[in-house]
Amino acid sequence: MKVYDGSQSESTTQNAPERIKVGIAEYKVTTDAALLTTSGLGSCIGVAIYDELNGAAGLVHVMLPSAADIDGGNRAKFADTGVEVLVEALEAAGSTTDAMRAKIAGGSDMLDFSENGSSIGSRNAKQVRRTLEEYDIPIVGEDLGGDHGRSIKLEAATGELIVKSANTESITL
Amino acid sequence: MPDVLIADDSEFMRNLLREILEEDHQIVGEVENGVEAVEVFKEETPDLVMMDIVMPIRDGIEATDEIKSNNPDANVIMCTSVGQEEKMKEAVKAGADGYITKPFQKPSVIEAIEDVVPS
Amino acid sequence: MNVDIQSLGTFNQLAHEGAEEATRSMAQMTGIDAVVDVTKITLLNRDDVGEELTGREFVGVQFAFDGVLEGDTVLVFDADSAATIADALVPGDSPDEAMARSGVKEIGNIMMSGFIDGWADYVEATIDHSPPEYIEKSGADVLPDAPTDADHQQVFVFKSQIEWIDESVNFYIYMLPEYEPLAELMMEQADTEDDAIPIDKLQTFNEMTTKGTQKAADNVEMMTGIPTDAEVTQISFAPITDVPKQVGTETYVGTVVEFTGTPSGYLMVLFDEVSAVTVAEAMMPIEMEGDELTDQHTAAIEELGNIMTSGFVDGWANVLQTSVEHTPPRVVHDMGRAIVDPLAAQVGQHQEHAFIIESEMKTEDIEFESEILALPNEKELREALEALDVERANETQADVEQIFE
Repeated sequence: MKVYDGSQSESTTQNAPERIKVGIAEYKVTTDAALLTTSGLGSCIGVAIYDELNGAAGLVHVMLPSAADIDGGNRAKFADTGVEVLVEALEAAGSTTDAMRAKIAGGSDMLDFSENGSSIGSRNAKQVRRTLEEYDIPIVGEDLGGDHGRSIKLEAATGELIVKSANTESITL
Repeated sequence: MPDVLIADDSEFMRNLLREILEEDHQIVGEVENGVEAVEVFKEETPDLVMMDIVMPIRDGIEATDEIKSNNPDANVIMCTSVGQEEKMKEAVKAGADGYITKPFQKPSVIEAIEDVVPS
Repeated sequence: MNVDIQSLGTFNQLAHEGAEEATRSMAQMTGIDAVVDVTKITLLNRDDVGEELTGREFVGVQFAFDGVLEGDTVLVFDADSAATIADALVPGDSPDEAMARSGVKEIGNIMMSGFIDGWADYVEATIDHSPPEYIEKSGADVLPDAPTDADHQQVFVFKSQIEWIDESVNFYIYMLPEYEPLAELMMEQADTEDDAIPIDKLQTFNEMTTKGTQKAADNVEMMTGIPTDAEVTQISFAPITDVPKQVGTETYVGTVVEFTGTPSGYLMVLFDEVSAVTVAEAMMPIEMEGDELTDQHTAAIEELGNIMTSGFVDGWANVLQTSVEHTPPRVVHDMGRAIVDPLAAQVGQHQEHAFIIESEMKTEDIEFESEILALPNEKELREALEALDVERANETQADVEQIFE
């Protein structure tokens, strides 16, 4: 029986970048120009951060505004700790916050039944902005709000974030 | 021909009721919520109101309650998808004269109306 | 018999970690990169176990286990995925079939050991398993028979779905434990009383919901003339972050309401786009041109969703002798997961895990499928179960004639 070491990826061709899926409340970082994707963003937000200098990039899919509101260990689930954990992972990959740029998408108000107060989508967006601001990471592209879902792809090589909706054309941030 | 007011937030349902009723009834209004139902009732005092329960702004039971307390002689038939006993009791308390559950067939609508407003 | 939410959560976590361990073993042996997509605990009628596998061919390995837990577990691959795995293990143009089979068996063996060992470690007891048996069957037949128990028509199934990156092939781990040892183990793990769920009542609740699904299916049939069968009704338990994955990434059309009372939560009626057009056309008096979804179609879907919603929740209210209010339906036409996501987030503000009530309906003759998904708030669901009088379980229908005599 042949045993591969797991790091080999023979099935992917040379030209196409490796594709890495990021689930809800997950984050992934790449240093070799992979394509990071996440799908089905409703009120959730996809925060893409890339380093213009060293080419590292990461994506986190956050669900709720703040870890302070609820117990539970998964930092990637919340807007505040999700941004933190992604920035830390990028720093561990050799990036500095000075070189980091952010693009964000999601935070839709769809199916918000709360009659008063703001929707989870807009609260998520507010918290993501606040936390990025604390790190002084500029938001260079965004597609937020509205009443539709989104799926996104981050091309680590270029920092381009492609946003797809069910009923409209894709846009590139 | 008896006058009828249709109150239902679903366009589809209003169309369906109109088709069933227009042959033998004069349709004096079609409204989408309980507030409009009360207003149009005051203006038109129809012989009959076909009233949905789950509607935005104001539900059909509250609207029925107001209509019946000002006009005890009004005839209101609830026409709703809700099949909960507690809701039916609330409807009775509000003064509803009949209760049709959706989905319905034409004969059951005609029959329910016949019970409440005999021709 | 009470089980607390915490221990359900722990058991879910165990199954999830076991599946991850199994997936790592496979990645190491084959270089195939895969992730555990969903792990959930489902309570359903034993005859319905594996319904979602219908119409596909599977290969896999099966084990019996006993010890503190008893039952069977199986790891199954889509037949196509099995070929991919065999190829990764034994590269070549045409891998020898016997060799491929033995490779799948070995992989299965290693994966499942990882899965079972995690459980044994957690409960600090031994769980033995039999040697792996290679199986090749279609649909639900690939699963072992659900354990029989005279007292319980329903069974708990632990199910993990593992997804290949880059490919649309999957494999599944099913574990079907005997009811009593599992319930006992869960009770032992329970450490608080205040969030206890009476699991026997959960079964009754499931039965009520099955009737609700039947009612909803009858309503569809009456409005469309399409003979519609209620299929599986089940209640699952999963981390809140896995809830949106209960539906696919493709586009759905349907309605969403928020319901309040005991229980409270959100309810979705979803159709794939083709089914939505089919069902809306069937409701309309005139033939529409083209097969695009128009405003008339969505108006029909809105009303159908409304009526299906009532059919579904009225039974709960009538048995519990209370009322369950719901908002007017909101029509949605979007990516499936994006529809569920904001609802899961709203429920997730107060809880880590969620119960998901899922029902499906289908028709034989034409392409038509619909699913109903309810996401109750845990607190109100618990109150509903506490208030549930098992003797009244059949009283799902109200008698209009009697009330409006």
